[in-house]
Amino acid sequence: MKVLAGFDYRRGKTPIHKLDPRSKLVYLVLYSALTVYFKNPLILLLLFVSTIPIVSVGKIWGRWGISIKGSVFFISFIFIFNFIAQVLSGSTMADAVLSGISMSIRFVALISIFATFFLTTSPEELTQSMVQLKIPYDYALTFNMAMRFVPTLGKEAGHIMDAQKSRGLELEKGNLMTRIRNYIPVLIPLIISSFRRAELVADAMESRAFGASKKRTSLYVLTMGSNDYLFIAISALSFLLLLSLNLFAGIA
Amino acid sequence: MIRLEDVTFSYASSKPALSHVTLEISDGEFVAIIGENGAGKTTLVKHLNGLLKPESGRVLVCGVDSRETTVATLARKVGLVFQNPDHQLFAETVEKELAFALVNFGMPKEKVSEKVEWALEEFELKQYRSRSPFLLSGGERKRLALASVLCYDPEIVILDEPTTGQDSRQKHRLASLLKRLNEQGKTVLIVTHDIEFVSDYIPRVVVMSGGKLVADGPTGECLTRLELLERASLISPQLAEISWDLGLKSPSIDLDFVVAGINEMIRGLHG
Ligand SMILES: Nc1ncnc2c1ncn2[C@@H]1O[C@H](COP(=O)(O)OP(=O)(O)O)[C@@H](O)[C@H]1O
Ligand SMILES: [Mg+2]
Repeated sequence: MKVLAGFDYRRGKTPIHKLDPRSKLVYLVLYSALTVYFKNPLILLLLFVSTIPIVSVGKIWGRWGISIKGSVFFISFIFIFNFIAQVLSGSTMADAVLSGISMSIRFVALISIFATFFLTTSPEELTQSMVQLKIPYDYALTFNMAMRFVPTLGKEAGHIMDAQKSRGLELEKGNLMTRIRNYIPVLIPLIISSFRRAELVADAMESRAFGASKKRTSLYVLTMGSNDYLFIAISALSFLLLLSLNLFAGIA
Repeated sequence: MIRLEDVTFSYASSKPALSHVTLEISDGEFVAIIGENGAGKTTLVKHLNGLLKPESGRVLVCGVDSRETTVATLARKVGLVFQNPDHQLFAETVEKELAFALVNFGMPKEKVSEKVEWALEEFELKQYRSRSPFLLSGGERKRLALASVLCYDPEIVILDEPTTGQDSRQKHRLASLLKRLNEQGKTVLIVTHDIEFVSDYIPRVVVMSGGKLVADGPTGECLTRLELLERASLISPQLAEISWDLGLKSPSIDLDFVVAGINEMIRGLHG
């Protein structure tokens, strides 16, 4: 659940925080596309490493680190499942290992790209930028509230696990089926309290006149600055560079 | 016995939530931990059944270092109930909720139903035995959460803010239950903001502020130190207020003592 720390936005004053969400959205889309497209582990590693300058300038080492460390837990699963699937579909051992490695790096790279985006972009600004991109407000808000509550859910899961462990629940005990069943006392309170919270949030929003007028006005309007164009240019250039590597050098 | 030796702990990336805390609680004591929001009280109690392990220093529970054992082993001795009952209620019925810990600790069937009956009775939950925990009111859910831990009869009972959302009758019942458990020789530790509850029932107080232990002593002494209460963002007990307002020589939270002080003052005015 530590992976979810990668969605825990805090205010910041770094150049990355100040970028327009739309330019970061361009980066997010282009880089995720590359990460999903390429299979070469070196290229995937390069994509992962390329997020590090953003982490550094955005000063988000702490939560980014927690999120990456948390993703390591999933990597072993991804590696094993991928390996088994490859072997079953008739690949050689070497290919299966290579593909498992690629999948794992791809996963971490995606986590890192998403973390840099969500850790430096405020939900309000993201909603506003989506509205300025002509996405209907209701959808933009729903999406962002979902994102906003991801880390809350992660924290809540932590509290629930603590409470159940204090009642003698041992999550890591037993065979695979038992282990899955062990999570029932964690999942049920998590689901129920999410419903409770959703109701509370809906009530709170309605009592603050959500949806009272058809056309909402905005307090701020987002504008792009020179940094934004620079950021978009760098993202687009590196995107094209990697794509040409694929087209002309045949690296996939 | 519970012993914390120079315990420091921080959550990722922030200043320590506990810094250099040293504390000893003997068997059979009844202690309150008080302090402002974010003082580190919950963090401290999470160390007492091994959910959190100290970054430096040691936590000893009944002579066992918390780092050398599992939460499940410690939990059998240390019953810990958290603030929010919604973080633990999950079963189909109140009865099954109560049985959960008992089954986890591998108690035989007859023993389980005996303990469940005891808890239903003790916490006035009998009429709800086959109802879903989620249909209970806030106060009832809180009571069920308490019951679901107290039912397995741990030697050390730790409650994190047990009085929130309870009316005065339920508070009173809780106090007398805790007192009874304490008289049976159990160690009882509660975290609370409810200063009147502390001053009425609990003999020893530990005051925390900003991750540090700032005072530890008899309740009457700690709760009549204004600077301490202010530091920990606490309201002073009403009897202490009266003592200060009237300018009594020795402020107290003991009703008889304050009355005696007032009588003495009146006699002084007459004479
Ligand atoms: N899971 C957590 N992750 C990060 N910080 C936390 C976590 N839990 C508590 N804290 C921080 O640790 C400090 C002490 O918290 P806590 O022990 O819950 O205080 P209290 O119970 O006295 O109100 C607070 O500053 C709080 O924000
Ligand atoms: Mg607390």
